[in-house]
Amino acid sequence: MAVAKSTEPTNKAEFLQRVREALGRKEPLLYPPDYPPLKSATIRQEEKIQTVLARNAARRPRLLERLAENAGAAGWNVHRVWNPEDTAQTVADIAKKAGAKNVVRSSEDVFKPMDLDGALRRARIKPIVLASSRSRPRADLTGIAFDADMGVTGVSYAIAETASCVITPRRGLARITSLAPPVYVAVVRAEQVIESLDDYFALVRLQYQRTRGRGVNYANFISGPSRTADIEQTLTIGVHGPGEVHLVLVS
Amino acid sequence: MTLVKSSQFRKASAAAVRSPKIQIALDRVMDHFVEARAHALEEFPPESWEQMRERASAIKAQTLENLDYYLDLVDRNVQRNGGQVHFAADAAEANRIVVDIAKSVGAKQAIKSKSMVSEEMGLNQVLEREGIEPVETDLGEYIIQLAHETPFHIIAPAMHKSREEVSDLFHDWLKTAPTDDIRQLCMIARSALREKFATADIGITGANFVVAETGTVVLVTNEGNGRMTTSVPRVHVAISGIEKVIPAIEDVALFLRLLPRSATGQRITSYNSFISGPRAPSDEDGPEEFHLILVDNGRLNLLKDPEFREALKCIRCGACLNTCPVYRKVGGHAYGGVYSGPIGAVVTPMMAGIKDAKDLPHASTLCGSCRDVCPVKIDIPKLLLRLRQREVGGSASERSSTWTERLLMRRWRSTVLTRAALERSASLGRFLQGPITRRNRIRKLPVPVLGGWTKARDFPPLAPKSFATIWRDELAGDGRG
Repeated sequence: MAVAKSTEPTNKAEFLQRVREALGRKEPLLYPPDYPPLKSATIRQEEKIQTVLARNAARRPRLLERLAENAGAAGWNVHRVWNPEDTAQTVADIAKKAGAKNVVRSSEDVFKPMDLDGALRRARIKPIVLASSRSRPRADLTGIAFDADMGVTGVSYAIAETASCVITPRRGLARITSLAPPVYVAVVRAEQVIESLDDYFALVRLQYQRTRGRGVNYANFISGPSRTADIEQTLTIGVHGPGEVHLVLVS
Repeated sequence: MTLVKSSQFRKASAAAVRSPKIQIALDRVMDHFVEARAHALEEFPPESWEQMRERASAIKAQTLENLDYYLDLVDRNVQRNGGQVHFAADAAEANRIVVDIAKSVGAKQAIKSKSMVSEEMGLNQVLEREGIEPVETDLGEYIIQLAHETPFHIIAPAMHKSREEVSDLFHDWLKTAPTDDIRQLCMIARSALREKFATADIGITGANFVVAETGTVVLVTNEGNGRMTTSVPRVHVAISGIEKVIPAIEDVALFLRLLPRSATGQRITSYNSFISGPRAPSDEDGPEEFHLILVDNGRLNLLKDPEFREALKCIRCGACLNTCPVYRKVGGHAYGGVYSGPIGAVVTPMMAGIKDAKDLPHASTLCGSCRDVCPVKIDIPKLLLRLRQREVGGSASERSSTWTERLLMRRWRSTVLTRAALERSASLGRFLQGPITRRNRIRKLPVPVLGGWTKARDFPPLAPKSFATIWRDELAGDGRG
């Protein structure tokens, strides 16, 4: 039928055929393009990761130095602590100094060995664990995060090269906890620190291959305070995300 | 296509040069960007930065040559992750897809993170027409949305607005008290947009990169609005040009080193989001639906042309704008399209048609600075020259030269090809230029067609004696013996 073709939605096959023809081909490729990174097998990846992890472990003290230095330059307030109780106290002190009335946090393993909620309460600050449950629909939780004075989460990795804390889905609403309140605290364990972006993406690739694509659908790098220079090229921090960010490094 | 008012370049650029407001803004921002980039590059030895550019350029070339394969891979992987991929041939189709998704969830309001493709599509106007309120959330984009303008600069859309103008806009639209404190202005935007973040049904973003291997959309932002847009609403729609694909997740490291340094001189931006699909059933936050729209809208014109394909390597950092002596003087609006500066002068004519943007390839001194800073090594001056060639000598549909111009050019060619003809016309020229030369300059050529040349510059008169004459009469004679 000669109806106006342009109103028909473009289907995938048709679209890809047009791309192909633009490239001077009529048929799909017989073999995947010769691009080595795409071909590396899981076994070789596993080996590579072992090397990466061993290298990172061997250089740990220097890595922590580098992370702390780069984080300072990127606008993080860096706190070095040496045990769980000091960690809880440090987070509570940050909250107190920021004048926080309530603090939202995700619920994850990093907080287990410490009594963070107790430390906050002693400072007369209300701790709120931001995790969904049947009694609390998600919209409410978002509202709580938007009204909170400070957010605290753990991280999956911290990348020394760029002073990036990597947030992936975890117990509790880490995504919004690390974004909505004006003050954010990332609690980083020493063994989570890796050297470079390359190391991080090598780890992601392995996880993706191991789970055959059923890995995590979300990751976020937080590499300093929220910033903008959109008005007269004047740097302003804390426009949509937190303007004050703390990295608590637990060795 | 909502792209082009580029046929107005001459007029618009002349007006921009005369506008004190635009000149102040350009003076304020351009050097800052250039210095920040230079400073950021000091971290590397020059040869390793060069190697990174080479590698990125090669990866992009390889991806573009096999783009059908990689687009298919993107589609399969996003689907596997639980998201949906849509293919759109043009702006109208992409708009329709967005509207359909928005309507399917009953959205009344859409929050948007920065997307240049959506500017190409004119998406905001379409959403408004459909009764869905679009809200730009990048501060610069928010300002120009309130002002009903287009981006002035690819990464600093509102750089031409002074704090007073921003204050006036906020006063008009948000009823806030006037202020000249920039921090205060940012906080006004923060609280105005917070309400929108908390209630919007759908979040729309662009994509800085799309990783084929994992079906991952990579977003590079500083304010946190991108994270809000992709975390709070129930539905996330990412819109990307087809050229944003890169093959492997490990390639992201390289591109994340190149992009922020080239753009703002940062080692990394404050936030990078990696989104491969909707939230998993076990995740506690994030959207329930994820859509990726892959848009052609004129990109295949570049892809199918082996000379111009390399322009699709562009990662939209804006470094070529900041370094360009033309952009630095005329700013972004004069270019009339969504993409300005040197790269805009290449892609706009190719996407929208050379005839409609014929001045743009001439908006360049061909100094080569854009090529030197490009993180993916696009040879922009070469492409601008090619466009100029096509404009005068290309097929009838491409060229915009008049028959008189073409006739003159043919005469010029036959004249310069024989010595006798050249010398004859040179002495004729010397005779004719006498009455119009003042202080060794010709201000105005009083001839039709050629007169255009002296509209904005002087014409150098022919020397009293040609080099050939001097050689013959004064230099060569003795030397030979």
